[in-house]
Amino acid sequence: MKKFDPDSLGEKMLRRFAGGTSRRGILARLGAALVAAPVFPLLPVSRAEAAKPDRSPETKTIFARNAQTSDDTKCTYWRYCAIDGALCTCCGGGIHTCPPGAEPSPVSWVGTCINPEDGKAYLIAYRDCCGKAYCNKCNCNGSDRETQIYTPQLNNDIIWCFGTQSMEYHCSTAVLIGAA
Amino acid sequence: MKLAAIVRQSAVRQAIARKPVASAALALAMLAAPAAHAATASVEPEESGVNTLEAPKASWFFVQRGFVLGGTSIYDSNTGKLLGQVETPVLGDMALDPAGKAYYVAQTIWTKRTRGTRQDMVTVYDAKTLNFQADIDIPGRMLVGGRKNNFVVSDDGKFAYVYNYNPATSVNVIDLTKRKFVKAVELPGCADLVTVAGVGLSALCNDGSIATIALAGAKPEITHTAPFFNATTDPVFDNYATDKAKKQSVLLTYTGLIYTVALGAKPVVGEPFSIQEAAGIRKGETKPLEVNWFPGGGQPLALHRPTGHLFVLMHPGEYWTHKDGATEVWEVDLATKKVVKRIAVPDLPEAVEVTQEAEPKLILAGGSDTLRVIDLKTGAIKHTIKEAGSGPITVVENP
Repeated sequence: MKKFDPDSLGEKMLRRFAGGTSRRGILARLGAALVAAPVFPLLPVSRAEAAKPDRSPETKTIFARNAQTSDDTKCTYWRYCAIDGALCTCCGGGIHTCPPGAEPSPVSWVGTCINPEDGKAYLIAYRDCCGKAYCNKCNCNGSDRETQIYTPQLNNDIIWCFGTQSMEYHCSTAVLIGAA
Repeated sequence: MKLAAIVRQSAVRQAIARKPVASAALALAMLAAPAAHAATASVEPEESGVNTLEAPKASWFFVQRGFVLGGTSIYDSNTGKLLGQVETPVLGDMALDPAGKAYYVAQTIWTKRTRGTRQDMVTVYDAKTLNFQADIDIPGRMLVGGRKNNFVVSDDGKFAYVYNYNPATSVNVIDLTKRKFVKAVELPGCADLVTVAGVGLSALCNDGSIATIALAGAKPEITHTAPFFNATTDPVFDNYATDKAKKQSVLLTYTGLIYTVALGAKPVVGEPFSIQEAAGIRKGETKPLEVNWFPGGGQPLALHRPTGHLFVLMHPGEYWTHKDGATEVWEVDLATKKVVKRIAVPDLPEAVEVTQEAEPKLILAGGSDTLRVIDLKTGAIKHTIKEAGSGPITVVENP
């Protein structure tokens, strides 16, 4: 009968962890957290206690008023309120999936977009797919609450291919992170 | 348009690759054709030659072709003629040597095109021949399109500064005389550089201030002005303009506020004024559903330094349309704080520059890749140049 062996268990766990991660990946994720940090309120507790933010100005932009939820290959798709570049949905990828052979960037710029179906605000991470030449199809340029490069996490002109093998830009996805 | 051109070009390239003999014959026939029609055609055998350029002139302007095609085209606004091309890859930045002897290009390439080892460098081209002169390796640079203030050269032409983002932010200092990378200076929270003679650099920051980096001492020192703009609700456009002789930068915000900043060891920010109020209408606001005239585009303002007139790309719309192309260019007299002229423009341009001549010309570029040269004396479109590029546009600031 096998005895409980915490050393062996610990070693196994560590080995599995080490095998499934890379220093580079951790750095990239840490970088993402740092970049995204100013966008999130500090703590879940303080967030819950804080008054609910007024999202009405965000629902009234020209983009939000014309946004739709049915076709993610069109610039008017609701999650694209602050996207810039070629839509991966037109390039062999999906709304949160890179086209074959491309690599998703672990860091991204972010937008807060309104879903017209429920009228609620959602945090969208615009993750670039990298390592292949520019797809140059379905180019969109959403600019809701988009800023300039000295506020990089909210700027959509920057090539967001950090922590990927190559920084060549291919296309952009719009990954839903959660309620904003 | 853009795509069709690329397909055409690659088809020609493929045809040449596959059928070298036939295409060579075709090329010869094409070369010979115009000669055959000319009345006084020479029948003497010819030799190939290479043109050279004069030093950059006040009537010249430089247009980056855009996000798909590399190259920065040199045009003469008098003739509308393409004079040559400075080799800039997509996302490369070009800067002029103030003495007019060289073109500098900050660029990034990989050893195996889209993969392999990343290489960042400042490349030097001779202004007369456009021949390669040197590569100066640097540790990195921000990869972004359409920014004019990420790669700047000091007034005396001795130093260049390349903005880096990895995603920590810093400035790479390059000695152009020694053609050597000197050092990287950390610059947290700021971007968009301007050189300040005798001091170093200034930059815009996300706390709404201007940072000044004193580079003269052994250790760089960074100081900040008091915050004066809101970087998330009413940001200052990255592509602001500077009059080096007057030591003054002109900043424009999304709502249309114009600030002048006296550059120096301690920059002094002037009281802003609204471009809309300067035109006699209500000022731009961040409020939703408010239709007004707003500035927009990637390079939305140009400064004519001899007269202190600012040219701004304007469009009617709501707030958060700061990337939209223009239907009018507003000419602002910065001294009187008045809009002195509103010029209707076609094709929704997203980039504007103005030549620094006594009788200036306005240069407009946009998404359609068509350039327009407007004679500001008459308001007439002097040249329409197709298949040119989307910008940014550069002019000779100190002709």
